[in-house]
Amino acid sequence: MTVQLRRMDVQQAASDLRHRTLADIPRSLDRLIYLASMRDYNTGLYYHDGLASRFTQEVACEALADCHREAFRQLVGCSLEELVHQMEAYMESTCTNASDFLTAWKKLEPYRVAVPVETDPLSAQFLFSSFKIALAILESRRHTHPVEPVA
Amino acid sequence: MIQLILFSLIGALLVFALFFAMRRGPRTEGSSKALVGARQALNSLQAGLLPPELVERIFAPEDYEYVVSQAPKDVRDLFCAERKKVAIMWVDQVRQQIRSLMRFHLGSARFHAGLSFQTEIGLAVDFGGLLIACRALQVLLYLRGAYSAPRMVGATAAAAARVCRISEESLAFLNAASIGGLGDRSAGAAHLL
Repeated sequence: MTVQLRRMDVQQAASDLRHRTLADIPRSLDRLIYLASMRDYNTGLYYHDGLASRFTQEVACEALADCHREAFRQLVGCSLEELVHQMEAYMESTCTNASDFLTAWKKLEPYRVAVPVETDPLSAQFLFSSFKIALAILESRRHTHPVEPVA
Repeated sequence: MIQLILFSLIGALLVFALFFAMRRGPRTEGSSKALVGARQALNSLQAGLLPPELVERIFAPEDYEYVVSQAPKDVRDLFCAERKKVAIMWVDQVRQQIRSLMRFHLGSARFHAGLSFQTEIGLAVDFGGLLIACRALQVLLYLRGAYSAPRMVGATAAAAARVCRISEESLAFLNAASIGGLGDRSAGAAHLL
């Protein structure tokens, strides 16, 4: 019974998170990166003060983990074309120089630390591979249509 | 003298019988491990490797068409190499999990599951055929890339799903409650279903 109640709390917290915070982040890629940033690298636990104050820390953590897994599944389900669009939009939203962004993402591969814990290796490998291809496509576009430097 | 030899032989036989009986003890534990291993293999296949949406994504022809229409040759080559790598990984993992399930059926299933002799024979044929198909598919993907055998990919995934369904029936008695005592990890795996 307690487990069932707790699961209901988690579902409620996840719904709250989707309606308040994640509603402003429509793209799966942005959601994945945002939710990964809510996770402590040392413990693997997620933290969200607002959600924890409305529910409990444990419930908030599980709700964030649920939403993180959901964003990951959505991104894995995207076509390559959609992933390229999402990455391009994300790159623009960071206001970073495109060349710097692409170089950093190719070298550091930050998407590798953005996947949820216990993701199955095949799905993770597939997504990493798609990111690599998407980056190559974006880079090739820049070579084909270089951005004119502002005078 | 003959009596002494006879009693010695009987004594030796009893010692051997005792020795084998003692060896059977750990088999119970090994058998429960086999059960949990089979359940995990089944989970991995059903939740991770065989969902149609993942298989369709890995082998999606529209991704190939998009890259061909949008990207230069070096990116096309990168795309083909990456998809080939993932496709081979997929078949390899399906094969590994099928082998794990097959080991369970060969070794332990008859002690736990009420499978009929006909079902067991059918399952053995399915396992054998599936392992051969996986190996053939791996070679084909390696030689000709991820988009070389879409029908074979579909047929292999369907055959693997069929084997999973039969295995699931034989493991149906193994619910979360019954393996709860085997540790959190096992319970978690069963809970996933």
